[in-house]
Amino acid sequence: MAKPGGIHQIQNLRRRRIIYRVLEDALYALYAALYAGGLIYYLLSPTWLWGMLIFPIALAILLAIHRPWQINNEKIAAFLNKEYPELQESTQLLLLPTDELNPLQHIASSKTAAVLAGLKVSHKHFSSRLLKAFIALFVSVALLWVVAKNLPKRSVQSSSFHPVNECAPIPNEKMLPQVSTVEIIITPPAYIHRPKRTWDKFSLTVEEGATLTWTIKTNIAIKKASLLFNNTEQIPLKPTKNTNWYASRLIDKAGFYQVNIDGKLSDLYYIQVIKDAAPVIHLKSPKQYTYIDAGEAPRVNINTSLDDDYGLISATIMATVAKGRGEGVKFKEYKLNFAEGFAAQKPQYDLKKLIDLPALNMEPGDELYFYVQAQDTRKQLSRTDVYTVSIQDTAELLSMNGMLTGANLKPEFFRSERQIIIDAEQLLKEKDTIALEKFNARSNNLGIDQKLLRLRYGKFLGEEGEDAIGAPNNDAADPADFSNAQKILKEYTDDHDNAEDAGFLEPTVKAQLKATLTEMWKAELQLRLYKPQAALPFAYKALRLLKDLQQKSRSFVAKTAYNPPPLKDEKRLSGELDKIIQPINKQDIKPVADQTDGLKKAVTVLEGLKQNPVKKAADGQVLQAAYLQLSQRASQQPGIYLPAMNAMRRILSSPKANLNDINSVERVLQKTLIALKNMPSAQGNQVDMGLSKQYYKNLKQANR
Amino acid sequence: MLGNFTYIVIAICILVAVAFAWQEYRRANKRHLLLRIIAVVLAVTALACIILPIAYDGALNKTAERKAILLTTGFNNDSLNRADTNIITADAVIKNQYPNAKLINGLNELPKNTNLHIYGYGLNEDELAQLDTLPIVFHPAKAPVGVNYVNWDGSIKAGEPLHVQGQYNNTSAQKVKLVLNGLNTGLDSVMLPPNAQTNFNLSTIPKTTGKIVFTLYADTALQGSIPVQIAPVKPLRILMLSASPDFESKFLKNWLTGNGYAVALRSAISKNKFNSEFINTDQFNLSKLSAQTLNKFDVVFGDLSVFNGLSVAENSALKQAVADNGLGLIVRADSTGKTSWLQQPFPVDRASGKEPAAGPILINGKKSAGKLNNGLAYIAYQNGTQPLIKNTQQQVLASSALYGSGKIIFTTLNNTFTWILGGNKQDYWLLWSTLITKAARKENPDESQIEVLTPAYAGEPVHLQIAQGNASPLIINGKNTPSLQNAAIPFEYRAQYRPAKPGWQTLQSNNWYAYTKQSWAVMQASAKLSATKKYAKAHQINSIVTKQIQQKMRIDVPKIYFYILLLAACTFLWAEIKSLF
Repeated sequence: MAKPGGIHQIQNLRRRRIIYRVLEDALYALYAALYAGGLIYYLLSPTWLWGMLIFPIALAILLAIHRPWQINNEKIAAFLNKEYPELQESTQLLLLPTDELNPLQHIASSKTAAVLAGLKVSHKHFSSRLLKAFIALFVSVALLWVVAKNLPKRSVQSSSFHPVNECAPIPNEKMLPQVSTVEIIITPPAYIHRPKRTWDKFSLTVEEGATLTWTIKTNIAIKKASLLFNNTEQIPLKPTKNTNWYASRLIDKAGFYQVNIDGKLSDLYYIQVIKDAAPVIHLKSPKQYTYIDAGEAPRVNINTSLDDDYGLISATIMATVAKGRGEGVKFKEYKLNFAEGFAAQKPQYDLKKLIDLPALNMEPGDELYFYVQAQDTRKQLSRTDVYTVSIQDTAELLSMNGMLTGANLKPEFFRSERQIIIDAEQLLKEKDTIALEKFNARSNNLGIDQKLLRLRYGKFLGEEGEDAIGAPNNDAADPADFSNAQKILKEYTDDHDNAEDAGFLEPTVKAQLKATLTEMWKAELQLRLYKPQAALPFAYKALRLLKDLQQKSRSFVAKTAYNPPPLKDEKRLSGELDKIIQPINKQDIKPVADQTDGLKKAVTVLEGLKQNPVKKAADGQVLQAAYLQLSQRASQQPGIYLPAMNAMRRILSSPKANLNDINSVERVLQKTLIALKNMPSAQGNQVDMGLSKQYYKNLKQANR
Repeated sequence: MLGNFTYIVIAICILVAVAFAWQEYRRANKRHLLLRIIAVVLAVTALACIILPIAYDGALNKTAERKAILLTTGFNNDSLNRADTNIITADAVIKNQYPNAKLINGLNELPKNTNLHIYGYGLNEDELAQLDTLPIVFHPAKAPVGVNYVNWDGSIKAGEPLHVQGQYNNTSAQKVKLVLNGLNTGLDSVMLPPNAQTNFNLSTIPKTTGKIVFTLYADTALQGSIPVQIAPVKPLRILMLSASPDFESKFLKNWLTGNGYAVALRSAISKNKFNSEFINTDQFNLSKLSAQTLNKFDVVFGDLSVFNGLSVAENSALKQAVADNGLGLIVRADSTGKTSWLQQPFPVDRASGKEPAAGPILINGKKSAGKLNNGLAYIAYQNGTQPLIKNTQQQVLASSALYGSGKIIFTTLNNTFTWILGGNKQDYWLLWSTLITKAARKENPDESQIEVLTPAYAGEPVHLQIAQGNASPLIINGKNTPSLQNAAIPFEYRAQYRPAKPGWQTLQSNNWYAYTKQSWAVMQASAKLSATKKYAKAHQINSIVTKQIQQKMRIDVPKIYFYILLLAACTFLWAEIKSLF
């Protein structure tokens, strides 16, 4: 009994060893994948795909090297012999079949089995390498974490909550010396559902409609402080202590501001505004114009996707149904809601709506106009274009009006398609009351009618009658026709391209006629399959095409009501113009005032200051005017114009201009100014006491 | 002492030589005895000669040139001979660079009666004038890296492009980026290839009027400043006569009046019935053209048939206005047949065949962006005319000719308005600006005009040429400056002035610019080089080598020969012993 137990124990150990090996390989593979994947993620491309690819590859390689499945019982026995001297190097005896053992081996093996049974083989031998793998993995994870913390992120996660502007570095800003710190509490508008945040610089980017609360700490006691917005609006700061001042303001557009402490103005700081965009609606189906043929299911499937930057609160379909024609058109409006609720106010919705047209009281000939409208959390509305769905007017198609009053009557078989449709509809109505065989028979008969009709139209196109081809002619031959080559030939050939058969139709008419025949074919097929319902759309289409053909041969002239006044014969062709006044037009057109005139003057002044940095009084006025123009632009685009405005302020305030300031203002002016138009102008004469004039005069005389 | 030393050395050497010879003689193997003794004696003699200075008296040929060397900027240290002594310079910077040079205060201190050799870039025109025909030899330095020469139009009209053209000498192995800067913004740039002299052409359309200083940078090195005066455009007065109301004159009128130009338009609507329009101008009778009417305008624009239909009196008034008073005429060809004085220089030809497809046209050699259907008619070129507009087949579509002091412009184009309809304003503006600017009566100038003959640098004399109709005193930067009137041309004056500070200077009501001394350094250098070369060619030293003098002097014998001798003797001795064993 001991022996099988011994083998069992060895096999157990073997299994354990294999499991540990595989686990160890898996950990090492994970370790490799993490390292390589991490490196690729940070250095090459921000995707985890590479790591995922590397893991199975590494695992396969490691398994191929270690080959854990090749660990056999002998190896385990050798291992046990080496580790446990009490087994007396006889463990492998346990593996041998009992019959093959000699008596000595018997004794040794039984002894070993007994020792082995009592032996507790610790996991330590197998797990030490596993532990190493585990530590390596742990270290690699820690390292990756550290790298991830320190390396700048390659891609800014593009969620609507972190606009890229906000992440852009803010240039070093200068504060007034009295200001020790500033803390701005940004309260985004409530509908955005974002928490308050604080900011420690004066220049900032906020959401539209956010409320800003400035808390300015000064290092000395001051008397008065205020914020000056866009050079116009003054907001006083209120003191809480002598050194703590606060003010708050709602920001609804971009601009710039300054801090005014005891009459001393700071640099200009910008406020950029992230606008809340209106929702974007994308209507995937239906198409702009949908035409529902008679017989098709009168349903419209509206499939749309809505996007907004913060959230959507509602979306509706505004539908208008137009009934009737001419002056009797009546409109009825419907407001249809999507099934999905908007309580979650998600920024993205995919919506579907199936509109059953009869439910909107729509009948053939009516039209549905609709658009989709969505509203975001800021109550901004946006809507799509108007989409049109119209149902084919079968009543119009079946009416005989045009045919009865027309001058050019078409052959009566034009009526047959209409008859087939009426019969098919009648058949469908009676479907529930008649026997199946009868229904099928009638459907088949209609199919035959349809075929005859098609063949008749086919003759217009020069197609041969179907019955004529290959039909055996059993009539007794006329003896006179014996060896009549013509007759025999006729028996075995087709009569294509026979001028007698071909209608003299225009190519377009022919093409349309062919299309009609195709529709008839399809209708016939469905009728023969006992599916009159499926045949109807084709039959309708064929009828419509036939009607179009019929209409094409007509022309309409509108009736007019104009009576020309009678001519005066005595005045005709006399050639008298004396009563005709010569038109004279006198006007003064002022050229459009140049918006950038002030800026252009400023350029001249700045160029002068480059040479001589001491300002004159007139220079100050010109620069002040340019400063006002720049400030208007800066309130719209503070990012571009603020540095130049700060430089301009320094130029204005100091008696001597700094070259760097002039340069930074000039750079912005060059960007702002528009290129001058190339207009014709007079060239200048030389100062020559009329010498050249004499020269030209003589030249002319010499040329003569 | 030295004499004693010589004798001591000789004595010791003889002793040593005898001792060594005795040693050789005593050797058992008597092979090569004589040779060995000679070798020993030679070795000792060579040693003695190395220790003692050996010299001989020789005669040296020397040129008796009395030579003075003037160093100017750009000279190369290595090109100077160390033996030269009389080195002078007029530049304190060079004195620092080459302390051996003697600093003089001015070129008038140059030693006379010597042959003057000039090293470096040479002297400028003014300095050369101070040499006073003193003959020189010029050793030019290599042309420096930078803008060799540059030119631009210093006064342009608003809307006209500023072209800066020149040549850059790039001897380095790197590419150089040349940037035209204005208002602290790069406006145009060009990459110049290494190791080449390349012509460049940079252009920009200034966005303002007034005095602007552009700058030219090579990579980041400032080359120099480009002062430009941009004058605003004064609106012209234009009279338009058309044979019938048509789009061409209507669109032209709209464009001109929209920009504040004064336009009077007369278009015939029936026999002797005219539609008149007066925009930005006073109203007057336009049914008859008189000299008085015509003198109110700068340009008359009209159809050929209108001019052909003028009465004799009107025609002579028009001729006189053009020939004597400089009125410009723009004639639109609308009919052929009767030849008038207007069409004489411009025979119109018709190409046979089908009307060509619309294509771009060349306005003053510049290809238009838009296409224009220019029809079959074209102007056959004649001497004395200047083609202004051509099509791509080089057929002339508009041409100009002088008529007295005025100009006649003739054009076969009559559908340029399609450009405006098609939104192609740029080409339309360019075309009509070219034609009208060419035709327009010349403006009467200010009372004086100024021309700077050489580039003006602060602190250096500048030659100015002033054209001025009256004899009012010349006032530069608010100071009365003496001037010299040209004896033959009474309105031309010349003056020399030394601007104290760089930047804009005034002269009467005109402006001109003085550069800083450092700007356009390379251009200054190349100007100096060419001026000095020219001067040197004109004032060569005729007897460059006067005579040779024999001079006795002691000449040291180089010690190297004795070293070789010693080495050879020792080597023989060593080899001889080696061969014994």
